[in-house]
Amino acid sequence: MLDLEGQALKLELFEIFRRGVDEPLPDHEFDRLARRVFEYQFRHNPPYAAYCRRRGRAPDAVTHWTEIPAVPTAAFKEVKLVSGDASRAEAVFRTSGTTLGAERRGEHYILDLSIYHASLLPNFAAYLLPEGIEMPMLSLVPPAAQMVDSSLAHMIALVVDRLGSPQSGYFASVGGGIDDEGLSRALRRFEEEGTPVCLLGTAFAFVHWTDRLRERGERFRLPPGSRLMDTGGFKGKSREVPEEELRATYEELLGIPADHCVNEYGMTELCSQFYDTVLRDRVRGVPPRPRHKAPPPWVRTLVVDAETLEPVPKGEVGILRHVDLANLGSVIAVQTEDLGREVDDGFVVLGRAAGAPPRGCSIAMDLLLRAAEESRR
Amino acid sequence: MNAIDAYHLPGLRNEDIPRWEMRPYGDGEVVLRFPVLTPELLEILVARLRLACAERLAGRPVASVVRALGEAAARLAREDDPCRVLAEQALPAITGFSPPMVRLILDRMVADWQEEALWRLLRAELGDPEVLDGFRPRADDPDPAVRTLTRACGPELAFQIFSGNVPGVAVTALIRSLLVKAATLGKTASGEPLLPVLFARALAAVDHDLGECLAVTYWPGGEEALEAVALRAADTVVVYGGREVEEQILRRIPPGKRLVVHGARLSLGLIGRPALGHDVARRTAAEAAWATAVFDQQGCVSPHVFYVERGGDTPPEQFAGLLAAELARLEDELPRGRITPAEAARIHQVRGAAEFRALGGQEVQLHAGPGTQYTVIYEANPEFAPSCLNRVVWVRPVDDLLEAATYVSPYGPYLQTVGVAGAGPRLEDLADRLARAGASRVTDLTRMPFPPPTWRHDGQQPLRELIRWVDLEVPEAPDS
Repeated sequence: MLDLEGQALKLELFEIFRRGVDEPLPDHEFDRLARRVFEYQFRHNPPYAAYCRRRGRAPDAVTHWTEIPAVPTAAFKEVKLVSGDASRAEAVFRTSGTTLGAERRGEHYILDLSIYHASLLPNFAAYLLPEGIEMPMLSLVPPAAQMVDSSLAHMIALVVDRLGSPQSGYFASVGGGIDDEGLSRALRRFEEEGTPVCLLGTAFAFVHWTDRLRERGERFRLPPGSRLMDTGGFKGKSREVPEEELRATYEELLGIPADHCVNEYGMTELCSQFYDTVLRDRVRGVPPRPRHKAPPPWVRTLVVDAETLEPVPKGEVGILRHVDLANLGSVIAVQTEDLGREVDDGFVVLGRAAGAPPRGCSIAMDLLLRAAEESRR
Repeated sequence: MNAIDAYHLPGLRNEDIPRWEMRPYGDGEVVLRFPVLTPELLEILVARLRLACAERLAGRPVASVVRALGEAAARLAREDDPCRVLAEQALPAITGFSPPMVRLILDRMVADWQEEALWRLLRAELGDPEVLDGFRPRADDPDPAVRTLTRACGPELAFQIFSGNVPGVAVTALIRSLLVKAATLGKTASGEPLLPVLFARALAAVDHDLGECLAVTYWPGGEEALEAVALRAADTVVVYGGREVEEQILRRIPPGKRLVVHGARLSLGLIGRPALGHDVARRTAAEAAWATAVFDQQGCVSPHVFYVERGGDTPPEQFAGLLAAELARLEDELPRGRITPAEAARIHQVRGAAEFRALGGQEVQLHAGPGTQYTVIYEANPEFAPSCLNRVVWVRPVDDLLEAATYVSPYGPYLQTVGVAGAGPRLEDLADRLARAGASRVTDLTRMPFPPPTWRHDGQQPLRELIRWVDLEVPEAPDS
């Protein structure tokens, strides 16, 4: 729970979320809100405040939102980065564990789930359901009850619950993996009925499920309008598949064309998510353009130089830094290790942090600690 | 700079090559050209190599092989030799190491390939190097009833798979197999595919026959059709690199082949009270900094952590500061090279995490340069954790140096070198504990980065791993 001042800020944010993704938030307005959120966090989040003070960046020294100190994602493994009373958090989302266990899991304390939901729903709807329709949501991620600390499971539960039709369902469990039979049966039924569906899951899960479909010689022609959201990378897993190859597989085995395949980019440490614009573009008649992600108006993404952490000129490759107003209850600015490049109305993710293998003959921490990560969430 | 041909394929004419790959390095200031081999071409190549071994190498005295290898090395040691000049020009862009680092590595590595060093290696491993030429009496033969002679046979064809970007590692490997008179096919790593080729060229220039027994080129690792040919043709396969490569090769290697694996390893330093005295602490820190900086910490010999003993003149916290100051100083003399954005991003994450541990009340102090060039993290928690490398090193305190062995033992299978300063009379006891923890080399800080030529590589004897002993038992004639 947030305190009263936090509640007041939250109401202002709700107004922005309610306007949806189409109403641009001018920079001066974003700046005003971002600096208010930052100022609030500075008073309520002691480790973050100390981090900012060490950089000489107390709120009175921050003249624009781009100057707000960003917290590296790794910091979420070290301290509770919460702007309020952690014991009153409504949820704690954790990053996936690691094989050696020597590295702790990152924790994102969510003081107020309603903010998380209010950011998530209009954004998801805009990019996955731009026609404003309802359809069966079929999840390859287990129900949230089985993965209480997974932000991805929470996200999908909310989407199924609020945006899915009554025929939505889960086709995976923590113990049993993907329920191939149940999923095939459901897909055949929707195929026969002519009901378009929306499949949701990690890219990794899709890779393995479609591998098995291929082995069995099974193929679907899902009704037109069917779509798919995949998320997360799968580096360091048993099988790495280039995105394009994976989308060709979706088309071949499911009958879902590439412009109905939306990749989601999200992280445990952020309350807002990012989606490919392809489906929304298609529905709104925007001529095809290179695949990229567009942040919702309440998030600004900066591409910064990996060495200096200063913003790079537009179009150059750097690492992504997200400034997310929906992170009111934790820290507004998060510095990732994900490589990307700015494009007109958003950015392209060029590679998620996966632990670059050492170039010599030594062993780097990432190699030893490399997660058996389903996704980072 | 024009594209540099990064292959040495004796007997193969350029017009035989169906396709070429051009690979840019750095910002494109160096471009290497590789032939795109077909399995058919590789079949011809390995057949030629085996033939060359039989005709030109197997019957040659080891002394002449050593002489030729030493002469090739002497060329690379000469500042004005064209191969050496090219190496110095191109390796910074290829490997990411700074020019002074490339020079240092070349100088130190080349020294180990000189004739005298090779003789030392042969004697250290085989006793009498002439066992490679024919049967020699077995010095260790205890049986009076028979007179035992012995000789050492190398493989006819060794297939070596290299990895990583440290210049020289691959050349050392090629030399080892030529020393035991094996024709050798070396598959280079994209991280450093040039120096082994330059060495092969230098060798071919000083000794044409030996040059015919050696082929070096690059193809992307895991190209199964090509590798199947090489794996089938070779008697012995030597693999450098991580577990993934090892597993890949293990799955595909035909039965009956000998496999030698040199996996990735990690190293650390231990610093005892005598090395922390007011008069010596700075020098110790300078040595520790140098050991960290060489290879930009990418070497298996590079320390991830220094365990520093409490109770000396210089407490561990203060030593961390000295170490950072010395790393800063090295930026002029031996600058860190270019790193990838992903590596730089990782360093910022590691630093941020350390800072937040400190803010969260843990005893952690961060010493960081203005860029990502160096980072020293003092951390009271003594648990060992590997570094993200590129000159990011930890200082952790211990009450007694002997404790450190217990903290590193979980990493036993990966341990290699332990650089020790100030152990005093405890050195052997300490080495004993480190040995049980998994380490294979205990030395001082200044020797850490460059093991001697007689080094027992990761606890193995690299020549002995390649050879097969043949005993000849001659019954003593009964007295008549």
